Amino acid sequence: MKPDLSEYVASRVAILDRVRRILRDTMKLKIEAEAIDPDAPLFGTGLGMDSVDAVELLMQLDSVFGLYLAGSPQDFVKIRTVNTIVDAVMELGDEP
Amino acid sequence: MSHAAQITGWGVASAIGVGRERFRSALFRGEIGIAPIRRFDTSAFTTHVGAMVVGYESDDRDPSVLCREFGLLALRDALEHARLDRNSLRSLRVAMTLGASLFGVQNTECLARGLLEELSIEGPSITVSTACTSSTQAIGFGADLIREGFADVVLAGGVDTLTPALFAGFHALGVLSEGPCAPFGRQMGTTLGEGAGFLVLERRGARDAVTRGLLRGYGLSGDAYHETSPEPRGRGVAAAIRSALDDAGASEDEIGYFNAHGTGTTANDTAEWCAIQSVFGSELASSLPLSSSKGHLGHAQSAAGVLEVITTLECMGAGLAPTTGGFDGPRPGGPPRPLGARKPQPLAYELALSSNSAFGGNNCALVFGGTNPPGPDAEESRRRVFVSTAAPLCAGVSRVEELASIYESKSAPLDRELMIDLAAELPRVDLRGIDRASELLTTVTWRALGDAGVQLRGKIRERTGLIVGALRASPDSLARFHASIVQRGLAKPDATAFAQLLPSAAQSACAKALNIRGPQSTITVGEGSGLMACAIAAWMLAGRSDSDRIVAAALDTRAEGAPGGARGDAACAVVLGTAPTSVEVVGIGVAGPHQLHEAIAQAQRRWGSPEPPEIVLAPASKPGSGPEERAHPFAGMPSTSSSFALAHAFGLLRRRMARSALIGVGGTTASVAIIVASTEVNYET
Amino acid sequence: MSLEDEYRAVRHHAALSRMDHVGLLRLVGDDAIEAVDAVCSGDLWVRDGRMLQTLILDDRAQPVADVYVCPDNDACFLMVEGITTEELSECLARHVDPDLDFELEDLGPEHELLSVHGPYAWEVMSRWLTPDIIGLPYLSFYHFDLGVCFRAGKTGEFGYDLMLRNEHASKARSELLELVTSLDGAEVSLEALDLCALENGFFSIRHGSVDGLTPIELQLQWRVSTRKRFPGVAAIEERRARGIRRRLTHFVAADGVKSGDVLRGPDSPLGEVMTAAFSPAVGGVVGTALLDISVAHPGIAELFVRDRDATFPIRTVSSPLVLNRSLLVDPRSETYATREDSLRPPLWQGALP
Repeated sequence: MKPDLSEYVASRVAILDRVRRILRDTMKLKIEAEAIDPDAPLFGTGLGMDSVDAVELLMQLDSVFGLYLAGSPQDFVKIRTVNTIVDAVMELGDEP
Repeated sequence: MSHAAQITGWGVASAIGVGRERFRSALFRGEIGIAPIRRFDTSAFTTHVGAMVVGYESDDRDPSVLCREFGLLALRDALEHARLDRNSLRSLRVAMTLGASLFGVQNTECLARGLLEELSIEGPSITVSTACTSSTQAIGFGADLIREGFADVVLAGGVDTLTPALFAGFHALGVLSEGPCAPFGRQMGTTLGEGAGFLVLERRGARDAVTRGLLRGYGLSGDAYHETSPEPRGRGVAAAIRSALDDAGASEDEIGYFNAHGTGTTANDTAEWCAIQSVFGSELASSLPLSSSKGHLGHAQSAAGVLEVITTLECMGAGLAPTTGGFDGPRPGGPPRPLGARKPQPLAYELALSSNSAFGGNNCALVFGGTNPPGPDAEESRRRVFVSTAAPLCAGVSRVEELASIYESKSAPLDRELMIDLAAELPRVDLRGIDRASELLTTVTWRALGDAGVQLRGKIRERTGLIVGALRASPDSLARFHASIVQRGLAKPDATAFAQLLPSAAQSACAKALNIRGPQSTITVGEGSGLMACAIAAWMLAGRSDSDRIVAAALDTRAEGAPGGARGDAACAVVLGTAPTSVEVVGIGVAGPHQLHEAIAQAQRRWGSPEPPEIVLAPASKPGSGPEERAHPFAGMPSTSSSFALAHAFGLLRRRMARSALIGVGGTTASVAIIVASTEVNYET
Repeated sequence: MSLEDEYRAVRHHAALSRMDHVGLLRLVGDDAIEAVDAVCSGDLWVRDGRMLQTLILDDRAQPVADVYVCPDNDACFLMVEGITTEELSECLARHVDPDLDFELEDLGPEHELLSVHGPYAWEVMSRWLTPDIIGLPYLSFYHFDLGVCFRAGKTGEFGYDLMLRNEHASKARSELLELVTSLDGAEVSLEALDLCALENGFFSIRHGSVDGLTPIELQLQWRVSTRKRFPGVAAIEERRARGIRRRLTHFVAADGVKSGDVLRGPDSPLGEVMTAAFSPAVGGVVGTALLDISVAHPGIAELFVRDRDATFPIRTVSSPLVLNRSLLVDPRSETYATREDSLRPPLWQGALP
């Protein structure tokens, strides 16, 4: 694999794992972080998080990654799945 | 209820005035008590308004100090209105039912105790801690105390104060409006407030008093839906309203005015309107005069219910209906024409209904009105109350039979941590995020209902209630909430922990997990709360017809690292019901603190037996209070130990090892005595 | 009507369709939920009036059915794709304790399922059924005089499935069609709905092969319990212990990519295309691919399909791909007539490889 590709994947995986751990702790799930599918919906269906969980998740994302999201529909789209959160962190979060 | 309690006075401390006179004139002028908050810094938040009690806008003393002051102001005001001076108080049996969910403060029962002591009143006090329905429920239970003959006068009401932590929690949940709230209006969100209010409820004929109104009935229900959102179609709210109408013997078309909970949030107002339409029918609902007082008073939380009833009573007496301050045009999904002017509007009506709802799904509605009694008091048909099952839980005890060996040997329960795995017992319930307190309570409630063969499906859910005696909010959630504020600042608290901070959080979580939708509440009397919960459950089953069984539960939780640690965790659920079993509740007594002998005498009289009970269990759990008390096995479990005693007595009677038993507790804010007897040898009065 | 027009109806207006491919069943009896619990892979944490999406797996943990479980007091509705009623019956017979009290009713012969999807589907239902419909939460249902209304849908837009008795179906259909057309929508085919489902990351049991694939590879672990026993649980545990090696990932491409194509990386083959379809919103192909775990991440542009001398690159993406209009519509404060389309962002804001 080309070095930039493996570097890209490595940074994604690091953020992915961190986000999964945040979710597992926020929602007090008794499952392995790896069992959280990166594309599983977080709200409504999928992991079934609700609006109170969303509040805590947004605070954690701000505190851990410097990713500040206000809660408008466009912002909500960024936290639909773990992968969309990773996308947002890579694009808008603090440098690691 | 067949004997409507008379209302002989009321008193207030509110955001539009302290004392009835000032309150009334401000109310009739249409004053809005919402203003920029001066008590604490709100710059980190997106909203900056609140409704502080007049004169206390900048007062940032300890919340329990403020609550006590508000409470005393309102109480003295009420006693004066009812023309009850020290002499008359001494010659009557006086009690207090207080709605208070003091945020994050432990031992809320001390507030009630302190208020009564200040007024030299020695009767019992029961604190109801169900957030926004606290004072509404307190009024209902106050009327019960009169109907049951435990008091001649009840001071029923509530107090609350607006603290930075409370403000931060609501703000994090996104439910605060930017400006002053507009219930049923276009601006979404609510405005927090504070205050205190009391009604003076009296038994008719107790003394020569002026009747200023009648409390005709009350109804309770639970949504069993979500920690903070109401069930969207208002199912629970509708159930409470119907139950109140039924209790009052009134039909929907007799209601001349409806005072809604109307917080202004998106979730509450639409659910409430759905409920109103469901109960009254869309035609009647569209012509029903309705309004919310929160536009004028803010959301006074534990004091909201009583302040809204007093608002209505003041207006009713002047031929007016309260209106909705801040109303700026109807919102989609809300009532099209609530009373929206700034000042109260002329309206003649005899009967009013007031409704409140709380986080966790508790709903309470009151029907009250003019001074004309509904008719001659109907013959009360009381039901007999039986004990179905009991499920005790603490380290080393998970069955009633295990209690027996501890009582007999007088040895302490095992000195180890209590391990439970609720997920294994309830595989089809989502228990994510459930905290320790809720897990304990749900475990014993599930086991007790299971042993009783009760399957919570269909109508049984609405006919099953839950009364919980607990002393404090969940210590874990409190710790987590405070830690989040320390780490992240007041503007970013842990919203999930906040939702679990209410003393009623465990009750709501349990009701949600098991689908219990009937009458429910969380109360405390300090020591003996579990037994008081049993007494309340028993009198509700006997004197009302809105449930067939009520789980009377007790809960004690210790924070990790506290003395005793998790070893102090305990819970007990006793299922009381109207279906006959071999053990019946034959006598109840309620009296003031340290008046156990009086409570016992009452219970014995109601039983009507010439002989005393065979077994007497009067546990005290204050450690180190005396050589006898130290020998009692369940020290350190103030709420649960008396429930364990009842469970143990039930076990003995069920196995025919005794034919009657007395369980009593002489606690710091109330004394309770319950006599149970085998049904083969029951004495009728 | 072209597929593109049908797609537009679903994504921008309201669309009506017949859902003949969905099995409608009801289990009755004291142990109905327990019976369903025994064959479904997920924890049935679902209450009366709510819906839960779960799976039925075979012994190798391959999905054989995609199921909505809908408890309704003492009964339970099932909406099933992927297996017939007979097959479900056999599955229950094989896995459920025979002493349990339950009975399976096939509602298909006497009922029809009609669906309305789209950012203004709620407006259609608000006029046809009741204005209160906007208060019905996602994944819940309720009974009305002519049948049952389920709020679900796999397009990412507002979606309502109406289970109607046959005698009411054709009148309902023409009334709904009239309402839908009044909002510039149309009746649409299953293909249009499936395209929307693909764009929104909904698993389809009717597309692609699940041979050798478990919920772990298919990103459906959220539908699988980690605590209970169910058909396929041993195979899942084994696969978990072995560790994930491949994962289903979404992608976009300009063209030249179809189901079954091998996907190559700079050094070696790294996967294969599962499903692919042309998307009007993207202006190119959208699809799913089973990729080696080392590249099963969004944002990778190094993979391609080779056909003789031509190479057709793909770019992996997160799903859902589109910013559904339904997320931007507030039923409480707007209607189709008062909508402000010009202010809305495009459905897709990416770049094709």
